[in-house]
Formats: sequence, structure tokens, C-alpha cells
Amino acid sequence: MADEIRRWSEELAREPNSLVFLQLAEALRAQGQLAVALKIAQRGLDRHPGNADARALVDRIASERGAEHAAQQALDALAAASRSDAAAESAASRLFADLLLDDDQTALLLDDSGYVLGGLYLDGDGTDVGQEVGAQLSGISEEIVRSTRHLGLGDWKSLTFETEAAVVAMCPTAQHGLVVVAASRSTPLGLLRRLLERCLERGSNWLNGGGPPRDRKPRTSGSRGVFP
Amino acid sequence: MNVAAVESWIEAPLRRYVDDARARIAVLLHPSGQVMAQAGFTRDVDVMAACALAAAAHATSGELGRRLDGHPFRGVHYAGATHQLFLSALETRRGTYLCLTVFDETSSLGLVRLYCEELRRALISAAPNAITARPTPTLAADFEVELNRNLAALFSGPKGAAVIS
Amino acid sequence: MISGLRGIIDRLSRQRGVRASLIVSEHDGLVVDSSLRFGEGENGERVAALAASIYRKARLSADAAHLGAVSFLQLDADRGRLCAVGRDDLVLVVVAEPSANVGLIRVELFKALETIA
Repeated sequence: MADEIRRWSEELAREPNSLVFLQLAEALRAQGQLAVALKIAQRGLDRHPGNADARALVDRIASERGAEHAAQQALDALAAASRSDAAAESAASRLFADLLLDDDQTALLLDDSGYVLGGLYLDGDGTDVGQEVGAQLSGISEEIVRSTRHLGLGDWKSLTFETEAAVVAMCPTAQHGLVVVAASRSTPLGLLRRLLERCLERGSNWLNGGGPPRDRKPRTSGSRGVFP
Repeated sequence: MNVAAVESWIEAPLRRYVDDARARIAVLLHPSGQVMAQAGFTRDVDVMAACALAAAAHATSGELGRRLDGHPFRGVHYAGATHQLFLSALETRRGTYLCLTVFDETSSLGLVRLYCEELRRALISAAPNAITARPTPTLAADFEVELNRNLAALFSGPKGAAVIS
Repeated sequence: MISGLRGIIDRLSRQRGVRASLIVSEHDGLVVDSSLRFGEGENGERVAALAASIYRKARLSADAAHLGAVSFLQLDADRGRLCAVGRDDLVLVVVAEPSANVGLIRVELFKALETIA
């Protein structure tokens, strides 16, 4: 094919009015050299304006070039969005970082399906297990909603419980999600509840479009969980 | 969960009950064994068997309660290895219904009893009109016809068509 | 054992703001023993079933999240609080006013739990 392209190019150079431009432009199109192919086809059409094959070839190459250009633009937009998403995801994971007092405290913001919206929960190996933990703990809130309806205690405001590994507090958000805060066993319950209130306020602001906290340097790079 | 009732006013209370009580399956039946509504069953033969056994268990335990305590037991509980069963009689304006509930470790006897009582109140509230006269006893000759009709209604068969060969 | 449980119930009920104190079977959600304030009588079985359900759900979820066994649990709602501690299928439950001193209730619950153990 390369030899033929060279031969057609030489012939077109000798004879500008030659119809060999059709083969040459088609060969270049097939090789993906759309810009050059279009130029040659367009020049040929200019010299042979009544040539239907030339018109069809120009249209075809222009269409492909337009699609390629659109695809490139889409790729560029996707790359930009990915960078933006990564930045947003990083910001979401740091949502509560500056509110936490040490590495043994962690906080998560969950939606009404138990999915993590913000915050981070690292286990002892540094793996983010927020999704698994969030899913398990969000099941408790479903039970509470069912039960408080029948207990005559009104709407629930918070749940606090102590476990072997941690103390955990959670409360509902206005969007039927959940804020969960966990800390080491040595954390005073009063402090834990105060932390929960602050995280609820931060989470609510963020959900209402307040955006992630700006210009806040977290005390730690992440929130190491309380898993052994 | 699939919930179906012979009479439409039963469906909503039963659906709420199985949801609140976290029941695996439930069936509401007449003490004679006629099924009125079911939740969680997939085959009519299973409903038939459950109703027949529940009616028999209710009759037996009722008589036992009368002999021991002067009146029938409020409810009967069977605890299995992985599942439990609770059978109770619900007195409503439309008469007495039996409620058979099967549940597992996601629920508890206390919850099932609690919501069973709420089901009773919901059935009273949802019944279309206050019928003061108790329904006449079902004749044996009519029993099979009624049973087939009810099963067909619960499993979306053609009305009146026999589903038992 | 029975007199011991009654003593536990009585001590819990004497805390200021306590509306009901119960010992509940976690598995069945049934009342083992209870003390309820006047007017709360018909709610005892209801509280037992629902409190046991919440406590069990918290216990299972915490275990699945590798947080270990649950000891103390406190649920705060608009019109009251529910506190619970559990061991070996028994759950001690206290329902209290919103203004009740939960710190004291918690201490008494743990003391009571030691008595049962």
C-alpha cells in the first residue's frame, strides 16, 4: 500500500487534474491519515466539481474526521472529569479528617442505602473498609426506625454503643442517611457524642452543597480505624 | 415477598405484619382450614398442607388449653433448630382467623407476638363492614369447592377452576 | 436466681427518671422480669421485644464489622432513652426520661450485669 500511495502521489504531482486523487485519498483515509486525505479529496473536488465520487469521498472523510475530533474531545473531557472525580473522591474521604483528634478516631457519612458518601475507615493494614463497616452498621438504623415507631419514644436521635474494640455513635441525617463515628475504647462517651454532633453538622453542610472543607490541613493524612 | 389474599382488605394488614415481624412465611386461615391469605408461599399444595396442619394444631391445643386452663391457649409456639413457628387465633369482627407464622433468627417470638396483636387490630380496622352475625359453619360438601376457589385466587388461577387433581 | 433478678430490677427502677426496667431474653424477646411505672404496664412486652431486637441487631452488626462484642447500648429519641447491657442471652433494659442521668444508669446496669454473671 505504501508503494501505491507513493506512486499515486507522484502521478498527482505530475498531473494535478488526474483522477488518481480518488485512489490516493481513499488509501490515506484507510490508513487513518484523515487530515491529509481530506485535503487531497477536497482539491480533487475543486478541480472536478461535478464528480459524484469525489463528492462522496469528501463527505465520507469529513464525517470520519468530525467523529474522530468529537471522540478526541470526549476523551479529553473524560480525562478532565476523572481528574476532577479523583480530586472530589479524595476530598470526600477527607470530609471529617480535621474534626478527628487522633488516628484512632474515624467517621463515615452514609446514604440511605448504606453506601459511603464521605469519610474513611482504615483497618490495621491501612485498607479502607468503610464500605463494609458502613453497610453493616447501617443495618442497625433500619432496625431502630422500625422499632421506635412502636416504642412510643418518637424519632430517634442517636445510638451509642460500646464494643470490645471501639465505642461507636451514629445518628440519622436529614436525607435518611447516617453519620457514624468510631473511636478507641478509651474515648470518653461524652467526647464521642460531641464529635458525632460536629460530624453531623459537617456532613449536613456538605450534602446541602456546602462543599468539602477548604484550606483545612488534616491532623492526620487519613483516619486509621480501630480494628486490631 | 409475595402476598395474596382471597379478600382484598386483608392484603395490606398482612403485608405490614410480615414486614414488621420479619416473617419468612405466613398464612391466615379460617379455623376450618380454609385459607384466607398467604405470604411467602410459592405452591398451593404447601398452603393446603400448612392450613390443614394449622387447623388441626389449633383444635388440639385449644382443647388442651381448655382442659388445663379453662380456656384455649392464646398462642402456640414451636421452636425448631433453625426456624420457629407461632400459631395464634385472632378474634375480629369478621370472626376468628388463625395466623400461622414461620420465622427465623432475624426475628423473635416476642416480635411476632407483638405484631400479631397489631395484625388483629389492623384486620378489625380494615374489615369492610361490621358483620355482627358469625359466618355459618362450612359444610363438608362445600369445603373442597371453597378451598379450590381460594387457592386459585391466591395463585392467580382461573376463578372456580380446580387446582387439585 | 429469681430473687436476685428482682433485686436488680428494683435497683434499676429506683434511678431518677427511669420509666421501666426489664430483664429480657435476647433470643425470644420475652420478658424475664420487669418493673414498669404506673400506666406503662401494657408496654412491657412491647419494650422487651423491640429492645431485644435492637440490641441483637447491634450485637450482630458490630460482630460482622469486626468490632467485637457489644456491652453497653444507648438509644436517644425525642421522648425518651433506652439503655441496655447484655450477657448470655439476657439483656438488661432501662427506659428513661430524656432528662435522666444516663451515666448513673450505665453504672448501675454494669453492676447489675456483674450480679447476673
